[in-house]
Amino acid sequence: MTLLSILGVLSSAIFSGTSLLYTTLGEIIDQRAGIVNLGLEGVLLISGATGIAVTSLTGNPYLGVLSAALVGGATNLILGFLVVTRRGNQLASGLALMFFGFGASALIGKSFVGLKINGLPRLTIPGFGNLPPRYLSLIQFDTLIYLAIPCTLLIWWLLFRTRWGLGVRAVGENADTAFASGRSPHLIKYQALFVGGMLAGLGAAHLTIAYTLNWTEYMMGGRGFIAVALVIFSKWHPIRAIVGALLFSGAVAFQLLLQASGVQISPFLLDTIPYLLTILVLIVWGGSRKHSAPASLGRVYMGTE
Amino acid sequence: MMKKKMLYTVLSVLMALSLLLAACAPAATPTEAPAEPAVEEPVVEEPVEPAEPEEPMEEGPCLIIGALHGGPINDAGYNQAMHESVAAIAENIECVEIIEAENVPEEAGATATMENMISEGAGMIIATAFNHQYPALELAGKYPDVIFEHAGGWEMSGNFANFFGEPPDAWYMMGVAAGRMTETNKLGFVAAFPLGWSLTFANAFHLGAVSVNPDVETTVSFTFSWGDSAKEADTTNALINQGVDVITMHVDSPATIISTAESRGAYSIGFQSLHAQQFAPEYWISGTGYTLGGTLTWLTSTVLDGTWEPIFLRCSLWDGCMAMAPFGPKVPQEVQDEVMAVSAALESGETVVFTGPILDQEGNVVVAEGDVLTDDVMSSVDWLVQGMVGSPK
Repeated sequence: MTLLSILGVLSSAIFSGTSLLYTTLGEIIDQRAGIVNLGLEGVLLISGATGIAVTSLTGNPYLGVLSAALVGGATNLILGFLVVTRRGNQLASGLALMFFGFGASALIGKSFVGLKINGLPRLTIPGFGNLPPRYLSLIQFDTLIYLAIPCTLLIWWLLFRTRWGLGVRAVGENADTAFASGRSPHLIKYQALFVGGMLAGLGAAHLTIAYTLNWTEYMMGGRGFIAVALVIFSKWHPIRAIVGALLFSGAVAFQLLLQASGVQISPFLLDTIPYLLTILVLIVWGGSRKHSAPASLGRVYMGTE
Repeated sequence: MMKKKMLYTVLSVLMALSLLLAACAPAATPTEAPAEPAVEEPVVEEPVEPAEPEEPMEEGPCLIIGALHGGPINDAGYNQAMHESVAAIAENIECVEIIEAENVPEEAGATATMENMISEGAGMIIATAFNHQYPALELAGKYPDVIFEHAGGWEMSGNFANFFGEPPDAWYMMGVAAGRMTETNKLGFVAAFPLGWSLTFANAFHLGAVSVNPDVETTVSFTFSWGDSAKEADTTNALINQGVDVITMHVDSPATIISTAESRGAYSIGFQSLHAQQFAPEYWISGTGYTLGGTLTWLTSTVLDGTWEPIFLRCSLWDGCMAMAPFGPKVPQEVQDEVMAVSAALESGETVVFTGPILDQEGNVVVAEGDVLTDDVMSSVDWLVQGMVGSPK
C-alpha cells in the first residue's frame, strides 16, 4: 500500500461521505422533532434527479444544488402532511414516500440518463497547485465539501443555541409540553421537516452534481437508510454525524482498496465490511441509546384538544 | 375512526401510485428494498403500460416486433446499444413496426410486458435483458406462433433462439491498446459482479495486454451493483490510487467510471455502447460496443419470408455485430496500427484469445496446452488469469 492509496482512502471518504453527512444532518433534525423519516431514500432520489435535470437544462450547477435542496424540502413536506396533518403512522408513511421517490425520480431523470453535465467546480487549495496531478486531484474539493463542516456547526448552533432549536427539541421530547409552553408542534414539525429535507437535498446534490456527475436510476444505493442508521450512531448529535459519515464511507473506500491491492479475501465478504461495521457500532452503542433518543420519536401527536 | 380510515385510503392511493410509477423504472440494486408492496396491496390496474399508445393503423404492418430492455434506453451503455440495434430493423425494413418497452427490470414485469406486446399483435419478441431469458422461454411455450429472440442467452426451443456479439476478441484488442498505453504497467477493470462473462472479459483484456507488455498487471474490483454510480466512482478512485493508469469496466453504464478516470488523468477504455467516448475527451483510448442492427435485420427478414430457424447466433466484430470506437487523441499511430494488426490476426483465426496453456492465479492449469476455451464454458468461468490482481469468488 502506497502513500497515494492511503491518502486516497481519506479523500474518497471525504468525497463520498459528504453526501452522507448532509443527509444524516437532515435526518437528525427530522428526528429531533420526533419524526422518523424512512422515506429519506426517496427524498434523495427525487432531489438528486431534480438537481441533475436543472443543472443539465441551465448549465449552472449551483442552480442545480439550490433546486435539489428546495425539492428535498418540499418532498419532506409530503411526509409532513401524512404524519403531522393526517396523523399517519410514521414508518408506513415513510416507506410509502420511499416508493413514491423511486418512481418519481425515475420519471424526472428519464431524459437525463447518460447525459454529461458540468459538475460543481473543484477548487485547488492555494499553495498546493504544484503537486503531481494524481495527488492534487485528491484534495481538489468542491464548495459543498468545504461547506460541510460549517454547515454541521450551524445545525448544532440552530438546534442547541437558538429558540427555534429549543422548540424543535421540545416537540421531539414531548409535544404536549411544547404546546403548553405556547409553541405550535405542527408548525415546528413542518419547519423541521423542510429544513431536514433541504439538507437531504444538498446531500443528493453533492452525490450527483459534484461526485458521480451523471444520473442513473436508483443510484442512491441505500444511502438514505445508511443515514438513518448514522443518526442513531451519532446519538442525534450533529457533530458526531461527521465521524459517522466519514467512518462509513472510509470503510467503503478501505474495502475497495483491499480489493484493489489483491488481498485474497472474497470480494463478497469485503463488500459487507461497511455494513457489518455499522451493525457493530449500533450494537456497541445501543445500550445507552435510550438516553439520547428524542422521547416521543415516532409517536403520533394527536393534538391537545 | 373516520380519520384513520381516510388515512388508510390516502396511503393505499399513494402505494398504488408509487407502484404504477415504479413499474416504469428499472430494478433496484439487489441489496435494497426487499419490501414489495405488491404482495399486500391488491392492485386493480395492470402495473405495466405499453411503451407506446395503440394507434389505429390504416395499413397493417408486415410484422410487429416487441422489444424490451431492462434499463433506460439512453444510458450510453448496454441498453442504448440494444435499443439502437432494434431501431435499425425498422430503418432497414420499412413495413416492420416496433413496440419497445424500456425499464422492465423484473421477471414478472417482463412476462406481463411480453404478453401485452403479443396481445397487441407482436409476432416476434426481442428480449435484451440477461434475466429475461427464462420468462421469454416460458412464454415461447405458451405462444408457439410467436418467435422469441434473446440477447446473450443459451436456451433454445422450437420458437426460441438467441443472438449476441462476441466480446472476448474485442476485449483482447482493447487489452493490446491498454498494454501499450500504460506507463505504470497497471490496468484496472471495474466489474459489477464476479460473473462468468465479466471474468472472461477481464481475462481476455489481460491476455491482450500481456501479449504486448509482459509486465502488465490487471486489477479487477467489484462494485456489487450494475448501477451504483457513487461506488463506481469510489472504485475507480481506489484503482487509480493504487497506481492504475488505464481503466475499463463491465457495468451497465460506463458514464461515471469514465468521467472519474478522466478527471483523475487516467486513460479509459469503454464497453457496451460507442457513446461512452463523450465522457473522456482527453484520455480516451478506445472502446467497443454492440452494433447488432444488421444481425437483427437479417433475423427479421428470415421471419418475414418464413425461413426463420432457431439458431445459437454469435457474431463477431468483423461481422458487424460489434464495433470499435475511434481512438482517442493521445493514442500514437504505432499503437493504432498494432491494434489493427491484432484485429486482423484475430479475424483470420491466427490468434485465438483463450488458447492453452492458461494458468489461473494459483498456477493451476485452467486451459490445457492445445486446448481452446469454448463459448459455453466462458459463461461459467470462475478464475482469473495468472498475473491478475483481485479475487474472483
